[in-house]
Amino acid sequence: MDTPKKPNTRGILDWFDPRGRNVGGWGFIINRLSAIGLTVYLYLHLYMLGKLAQGPEAFDAFIETAKQPAIMFGEMLVIIAGLYHGLNGLRIALNSFGIAVPAQRQLLYGVVGITLIGTVVFGVRMLTAH
Amino acid sequence: MTEEKWTVKFVIFRKKGDQPPRYDSYVLEVDPDEYVIDGVERIWAFHDRSLIFAHACHHSTCGACGMRVNDVEKLTCITKIRDVTTNGGSLKIEPLRNFPIIGDLVVDMTRMYAAMDRVHAKAVHPLSAAPLEGEGIRPPKDVPRNNGDEYLRLADCIECGLCISACPVAGTAENYLGPAVLAAAQLQGLKHNPDLLDLVDCADGLWRCHSAYECTAVCPSNVDPGWRIMDLRRQVVGERIKRWFVKA
Amino acid sequence: MSKLHAIVIGAGFTGVAIAHDLALRGFAVTVVERGPIVNGTSGRTHGLLHSGARYAVNDQESAIECIQENQILRLIVPDAIEPNGGLFIGITDEDMAYREKFIEGCAACRIPIKELTPQEALRLEPNLNPKLQTAFTVPDGTFDPLRLALAFAASAKSNGAVFHLYTDVVDLLTDGQGNIVGVKAWDRATDKRFEIRGDIVVNATGAWVGHITSMAGISVPITPTPGVMVAYDQRLTQRAINLLNKPGDGDIVLPQRRMMVVGTTSFTIEDPDYVPVYEDHVQLMIERGSNLIPALRQTKERGAYMATRPLIGASAPGRSISRTFKAYDHKETDNVEGLVTITGGKATTLRLMAEKTVDLICKKFNLNIPCTTAETPLLSYRKFYVN
Ligand SMILES: Cc1cc2nc3c(=O)[nH]c(=O)nc-3n(C[C@H](O)[C@H](O)[C@H](O)COP(=O)(O)OP(=O)(O)OC[C@H]3O[C@@H](n4cnc5c(N)ncnc54)[C@H](O)[C@@H]3O)c2cc1C
Ligand code: SF4
Repeated sequence: MDTPKKPNTRGILDWFDPRGRNVGGWGFIINRLSAIGLTVYLYLHLYMLGKLAQGPEAFDAFIETAKQPAIMFGEMLVIIAGLYHGLNGLRIALNSFGIAVPAQRQLLYGVVGITLIGTVVFGVRMLTAH
Repeated sequence: MTEEKWTVKFVIFRKKGDQPPRYDSYVLEVDPDEYVIDGVERIWAFHDRSLIFAHACHHSTCGACGMRVNDVEKLTCITKIRDVTTNGGSLKIEPLRNFPIIGDLVVDMTRMYAAMDRVHAKAVHPLSAAPLEGEGIRPPKDVPRNNGDEYLRLADCIECGLCISACPVAGTAENYLGPAVLAAAQLQGLKHNPDLLDLVDCADGLWRCHSAYECTAVCPSNVDPGWRIMDLRRQVVGERIKRWFVKA
Repeated sequence: MSKLHAIVIGAGFTGVAIAHDLALRGFAVTVVERGPIVNGTSGRTHGLLHSGARYAVNDQESAIECIQENQILRLIVPDAIEPNGGLFIGITDEDMAYREKFIEGCAACRIPIKELTPQEALRLEPNLNPKLQTAFTVPDGTFDPLRLALAFAASAKSNGAVFHLYTDVVDLLTDGQGNIVGVKAWDRATDKRFEIRGDIVVNATGAWVGHITSMAGISVPITPTPGVMVAYDQRLTQRAINLLNKPGDGDIVLPQRRMMVVGTTSFTIEDPDYVPVYEDHVQLMIERGSNLIPALRQTKERGAYMATRPLIGASAPGRSISRTFKAYDHKETDNVEGLVTITGGKATTLRLMAEKTVDLICKKFNLNIPCTTAETPLLSYRKFYVN
């Protein structure tokens, strides 16, 4: 009984297990996913900037691919992730000053709501711009 | 309670020593108003004497019988079967997460007890320090004193560990103090307990919290650790600013 | 000289208190318990730290033990007790007829009481039945059963006691002449079987003592006598509330954390391993409880549970070292050396039971070591986990 053992956890997998979780838990899961998404995006972005330095041909080729629907969908995801993560950050910062903690759920609904509206606005602009 | 009878399949997590875990199923006839722990104890009594599980008071004062019931942390002695399954349904019972498993449904909660000890969490409070806000039929401030002494009351937190099991970051941060412990620090207040400041104001203290509020969702004992962690952050920031000026 | 080794079976109140006392008096101690700490009756007690007033009329020996131990436990257990006192309230004329005897009994047992007018009582505890005719303050308290036991276990552990939890005693080891020299154990956490040898085996298994003695071919006639308790979701008083009358069903309502707990009943059964909570008993608790505190009726049930007293028949063979609980040296009663059985008593008197049992064990080994548990503050219950 006294032998120290590893805690009963699946580690990082448990971050994303939504079973049995509540509103706040979902907020956390999306927060983590958006954080990882944005981090991956950041590296892609740096890679692209690297291309820019390689000369105009490479850059033009990249702009061509960027117009493909799959990539545009990816860009939408970046916007969703950015909006959600940023707004949720505000929610948590507010809470961390002891403000509106009992309303964390309503705040989260607000975060999701604004994210959705923002997404629609950006989506429409993106489609009409091309 | 009624004469109603339900048939419920209990799917129980089993693990002995270093053997790989497995799930055993037992079909029980239950009264839906019985508590989940009653079903688990009956499995031990009538079906399988090798099963181990923790429990003691059977009325939510000791905090020993926390388990995961259908993926949600529950204090099984106050969880009616009716509230977590249906007639003909099933109940998946697993040990709490984020603690080492001793066997079957029993976990080793040393992690939490040790941390509670480090913040000198009070087991018994004066009534005024742990008020029954909005609860009792008379507001507590009207309660007369006991021959001039304050009334003492056992703390709300029963150290059941549900919050640590439900916390999504407690699994990846073994040294994280955890919701119950931070809540205990908040309850004492940094103003009167300045030694707690460095203990909670660190990476494995209250900045590890990532605001999933699952602790508050599962806490069976009115502690609301999520709110307390946030309030402790406010206290820490206030205290740091104050010290900064005092030093300068 | 190497230490004498005592094996204690059962980590209920009796077992942990004995383990603590033995360890303090220099024994090497091994505790074997088939569940967690307070797996049996002890975990599920009502939680009243008796002032003794309940027994002051009918059982003064118990009453005196209770008031003395009550005062000791308040001092040595720092963090498991709500020491807010209690009230005995008389509502009917029949209750009032008990008043004189109650005052006399408490005086005889030196239990400090004070009579209050109904107005005074209602001012202290506004949720009491407003029809009460009189009330007495008594030094009752409430305790958390797990933490009370853990405080003893933690202190035992710090003095070297070893706890095997989730480990059943499946048989007793004998020396071939029927004398007991140890136990056969089954650790259910790892599914391993092993033997433990010792100089003395202490059977502290409460309602289960008969199962253990039967392994040595000794029968102890036990009648398991369970009682039901019901917890409600609101704290309606600060003190334990008792009915001013002879002890009966559902006549104690006590506060604990944010709850009220009503208890208890009494009936007999065959096998203490599993006893269901009967619906009619739960009904009785709310009826009797709301006689004392009417607001209970508007309060949600939070939990319902039962625990089993080990009643030993009066015809039980053997000499008992106290009338309030039973301790047998099976050398004297059955000519089996190496086994001592102890059962009965109350949570409130756990320390005293241990003191008398360990006195008996010391005498067996011709040791003259005084008991110091009454003066030794216990460690925090958390120290059971934290070394
Ligand atoms: C309904 C009720 C209410 C009560 N309320 C109060 C109260 O308010 N105040 C008060 O002072 N007293 C109260 N009491 C009395 C008090 O609870 C008991 O006196 C006390 O709990 C008895 O403790 P114990 O250690 O002797 O028995 P138990 O607590 O039953 O301990 C026996 C232990 O032995 C273990 N065991 C059994 N067989 C084996 C085996 N083969 N191998 C290993 N271990 C084994 C069991 O698991 C168990 O943990 C109450 C009793 C009842 C029944
Ligand atoms: S804070 Fe709540 S959930 Fe966490 S240990 Fe305490 S009582 Fe249990």
